[in-house]
Amino acid sequence: MPLVVIGLSHHTSPVTVRERFAFAEARIPAALQLLRESGIVSEAVILSTCNRVEIYAATGLQPLKAFVELEGFLIKCADYRDPMTDEIYTLTEPHSMHHLFKVACGLDSMVLGETEILGQLKKAYELSLQHNHTSSILNKAFQKAFNVAKHIRTETAIQRGSVSVGSVAVELAEKIFSAVDNRQVMVIGAGDTSEKTARALLSRGARSIIVSNRSHERALALAAEMGGRAVQFDEWAGEFAKIDIVISSTAAPHYILDRAKLEPLMKLRKNRPLLLIDIAVPRDIEPEVNLLENVYLYNIDDLQAIAEDYLRQRKEEIARCEAIIVEKARALLEARGTIRVPGESRVILGT
Amino acid sequence: MAGLTDRNYFLMAVGLYGVSTLYSIFLLRKGFREDNRINYLLLLGAFGFHTFAMVKRGFNFQRCPINNLYEATLLIGWTIVVTYLVFGSFSRLRFLGAFASPILFAIGIFALMRGLDARGSQPVFTGGWSSLHKALILLAYGTFGLSSVAGLMYLRQEHDLKYRKLRAMLSLLPPIQRLEVVISHSLAAGFVLLTAGLGTSAVYLKKTRHVYFVGDAFVVYSILVWAIYGTLLLLHWRFAQRGRRFALGAIGSFAFVMLTFWGIYMISGIHNPIP
Repeated sequence: MPLVVIGLSHHTSPVTVRERFAFAEARIPAALQLLRESGIVSEAVILSTCNRVEIYAATGLQPLKAFVELEGFLIKCADYRDPMTDEIYTLTEPHSMHHLFKVACGLDSMVLGETEILGQLKKAYELSLQHNHTSSILNKAFQKAFNVAKHIRTETAIQRGSVSVGSVAVELAEKIFSAVDNRQVMVIGAGDTSEKTARALLSRGARSIIVSNRSHERALALAAEMGGRAVQFDEWAGEFAKIDIVISSTAAPHYILDRAKLEPLMKLRKNRPLLLIDIAVPRDIEPEVNLLENVYLYNIDDLQAIAEDYLRQRKEEIARCEAIIVEKARALLEARGTIRVPGESRVILGT
Repeated sequence: MAGLTDRNYFLMAVGLYGVSTLYSIFLLRKGFREDNRINYLLLLGAFGFHTFAMVKRGFNFQRCPINNLYEATLLIGWTIVVTYLVFGSFSRLRFLGAFASPILFAIGIFALMRGLDARGSQPVFTGGWSSLHKALILLAYGTFGLSSVAGLMYLRQEHDLKYRKLRAMLSLLPPIQRLEVVISHSLAAGFVLLTAGLGTSAVYLKKTRHVYFVGDAFVVYSILVWAIYGTLLLLHWRFAQRGRRFALGAIGSFAFVMLTFWGIYMISGIHNPIP
């Protein structure tokens, strides 16, 4: 009995279509029950995330017949009446197995190599398992997928590095400070990116946030939101002795921190390392401050360049990951004794 | 293999340290993205030859092989390689070998200089206090060697972070603040060992020569080294000298020791008496 996959994802359909096919978590057990009672499949897992809606199933029917029935099931569940072209894709073995493994590894994700999908896949599988909608075919396939994801995470660089400005800033902090927790963060200028970056640092355990903004009301609001405290804009330099990380994003047309101003402040800080993240355009911090010892300055272009480099490196790892996936899928199918002659197994169904 | 001497075995160990050093240059260029098992295995092999050389020498001369400068240098190198192999058993710390191997190679080349082992089996040091003194002093230098390894790692990572190199992010090197703590702690440990080593030498001198201090070149040199490391620690703890300068201090001080230790030792009347 082969593993088949039918679904739609960010590769084939826009969010306006995906959202209509999405299954709320509470609906999934009933949908699985209905699917099995229909006799189309003997085992099934429904994966519904913001980027994909997929059914992984083991079926005794001929794949083409099963796909027609499964597509009908999806459309019926979504009550979707608009015309469809090639939004829905279908896969049979070995490509269905490859696809499952790719999804588990984040290779099919919008953000290449992201790890959230693995948790979502585990959750979808566990839900199906709890309600007895899986048996040997899917159990083995999903367990193997989780193993392959772990293997690929440790053996390749597909999940290494951060691909957003906020997470790059966190990673930088982790390369400078022994631990990010207990670090004092100052946000100068309460912009959207600085807020996201500060939140990313807080999520990694940064001790507290000091917010300084030209509009003190905005500083107070953001500080309250993030559990920090606000200081008047002309008083932020007075806090420098305590802080470890500065995120600056004011709308000032000139530098608000230059070398002459920072040099005496570093003495007050007893030369502890200081990470300056300047995400303002025009820049807030004079580039020459990076020449000071124990000061590490990164502007928005630096952070962006690191994120892009990471992404490029992840893309370079795709071929390695795919080779591992093909090998692991082959081993699983051989062990099951159902390896098939690979042919055209991806079928686009349109209505 | 039966006809090989202990020096031949040590030579093989130094050869492997050399190969490991070359491989480390390759790793440095790659930026420590993966744990380097090959380097670990090279150093493990070198450790095998190094240990065998020491054991063979001990059996040949029927005594613990820490009796002259050659043997002392072997022990310093052995301390460093053992420490690395213990740390390197954790995959996240395996890259340390890339920094340890050049130092081990340099120590090995230094040890192989003929003058260090000129009198072969003739023990230069004797007695309980003397043994304790030399063990403490050698451990101190081994620890200073480790601080300079951490210093090299610090400079590498600090440079990459300053100049926004992606390899700073990709490397498995620890955060620079932690490296600074490692430098500081290993220097402090080395300083305590050196202080104790100098203290035992005073006891030894009192017992054998009825004086606490002899104006010997090597004794004066040891006090100078003690003062250098003491000043380094004082500047760090009391005057907030941190980061790059502190790492350079640890590396520079050890480089000074490496470059001068042998020469001063050779002219020391009490450590290297003319027969």
